[in-house]
Amino acid sequence: MTTESVTRSLQRARNGVGVGGGGAPARNRRNKALNHGTTFFFFALPSLFLLLLLNLYPVIYAGFQSVHDGDLIQPGNFIGLRNYLTVLQTADFWRAARFTVIFTVVGVFGSWAVGLGIALLLRTRIPANPVFKVLLLLPWVVPTVVSATAWNWLVATPQAPLPVIAKAIGFGDVSFLGDPLAAQVLVCIFKVWISFPFMMMMLSSALAAVDTNVYEASKVDGAGTWQTFTRITLPMISRTTYVSWILMTIFCVNDFPTIYLLTGGGPVNATQSLVVMAYQTVFANQQVGPGVAIAFIMTIVLVIVSVVLYRQIRKSSIE
Amino acid sequence: MTTETANIRLAGISGKRRRLGELGERGKWWRFLAILFITAVVIVPVVAVFILSLTPAFGSTETGLTFANYGHIFTATNLSYWLENSLLVALVTVVVAVAVAAPAGYVLSRGRSRLISGYALILFVIQSLPVVTAVIPLFFLFVKLNLNDNLAGVMIIYIGSTMSVAIWMMAAYFDSIPITLEEAAWIDGASVFGSFTRVVLRNSLPGILSTAIFSFLLAWNDYLIAVVFLKSDVNYTLPIGLQTFFQQNATDWGNVMAVAVIMMLPPIIVFAALNRYFSVGGIGGSLAGR
Repeated sequence: MTTESVTRSLQRARNGVGVGGGGAPARNRRNKALNHGTTFFFFALPSLFLLLLLNLYPVIYAGFQSVHDGDLIQPGNFIGLRNYLTVLQTADFWRAARFTVIFTVVGVFGSWAVGLGIALLLRTRIPANPVFKVLLLLPWVVPTVVSATAWNWLVATPQAPLPVIAKAIGFGDVSFLGDPLAAQVLVCIFKVWISFPFMMMMLSSALAAVDTNVYEASKVDGAGTWQTFTRITLPMISRTTYVSWILMTIFCVNDFPTIYLLTGGGPVNATQSLVVMAYQTVFANQQVGPGVAIAFIMTIVLVIVSVVLYRQIRKSSIE
Repeated sequence: MTTETANIRLAGISGKRRRLGELGERGKWWRFLAILFITAVVIVPVVAVFILSLTPAFGSTETGLTFANYGHIFTATNLSYWLENSLLVALVTVVVAVAVAAPAGYVLSRGRSRLISGYALILFVIQSLPVVTAVIPLFFLFVKLNLNDNLAGVMIIYIGSTMSVAIWMMAAYFDSIPITLEEAAWIDGASVFGSFTRVVLRNSLPGILSTAIFSFLLAWNDYLIAVVFLKSDVNYTLPIGLQTFFQQNATDWGNVMAVAVIMMLPPIIVFAALNRYFSVGGIGGSLAGR
């Protein structure tokens, strides 16, 4: 289904509702419109209730907790913004923020580059193409708990596959779960491994929609492979690229299991992202106020960012 | 639809001509080998899980491949409980999530007031928030309501966290159903509710399946919510059960991987059987298409 036809049917759908049911008589039409309002309200009611209870309430309560000095049982006393100041003044917070940014940038662009490369390869006619497509989606389909277990095994001992390979290509003895830098690299590679199928699938469908005649025309005009790629392929898939970057950014920033299950945030907190830090501050260190403050800072930033990005996407889809 | 198929066919024909003329057989084999190599590297961890699950335990007299690990995990651990819990939680989540998201998605698709576009924006914002922000306050709430260490509590949270994406996915699918179908039903005297259940839903199986797969995977794969809320061994879902194997000093990889295989089989089976309806990002496809 192309974007165009969806937009068209959407348009038709909206117009249809606008006049309230085609050739129906006037009185009937008004009833139908009225009906719509109340029916729609009841249609949306269960979801509204769930969203209020499980999304709005927790966010508001988190805001409340973040300005109190409570523990896991009592809400505690009002202490203003002290939790925020405490958190913002620790070096740990900024180190976690820095790692979150690195992890997100590598995760988004790494998975995009790998996903695009494979999508381009798979676009050409090669034997057993569907088999490869299915196998390459496995990292996305397999539960993170399972793949983290598998990756743990890959680096568990010096005799495990990854340390052996690292040694063979000249990095010496690398302890992937013991050395801070190596652990950070490992977590980022793991994230790219999990996420590239998502990019591959989104970009494959975008590439499939590109008209092959454009390539023939550029060939006739004497464009080289690289020129064709940068001047035609990339612009043609720009909207999908943009949407996939946005979504992957959100997935990476909020990612808990990928990091926590592989390294637990260690060694010496080197791979602790903000989400992992918030979790550990509350549930391991029992410091509810500061932990919620970290989560709430992220929430505020993400609300602003997602509202801005959402507007951008809607604007670009109208154009 | 017909024009679309025609276009694809046309593209296929011209593509073949282009390739025969320029790339030739050598380019094709180079690409084939490249993709073969990439695929082999990518699936190493998954293949390793299968092989290790069939490898005899260290110090065992058996050689070659064995199913002993599977026998052991079913008899010596609470695996059957974990499996049952995971299945129950995932199925309830799927059924309730689809039942609640479908009508809401219909409103999002057909309605055109400012209120409804505001609702769409709120849903997008909600899906971009970190789960951990909601988990901490809900933990306090659930302790009070006695829903802590309770599968029902976990189900409620899963249903809540699928909601925003599930509504978006249903709405995106309803967008592709022409409103003329409903108009015909209205002229025949059907109510909005009647036309929704008898006309729209009946034609929405692919959309419902995609939403169901999405919710199933979310509930089946989740770790964070389960680890916060489930405390006793018999209430564990599979991800938490799998993690208990790492608490012992020496990891017995054979057993761990056998549990891992059991845990990844349902998603792989669902994916293999229904991969036509499998949508990668959930909200991704909906957002790119809308």
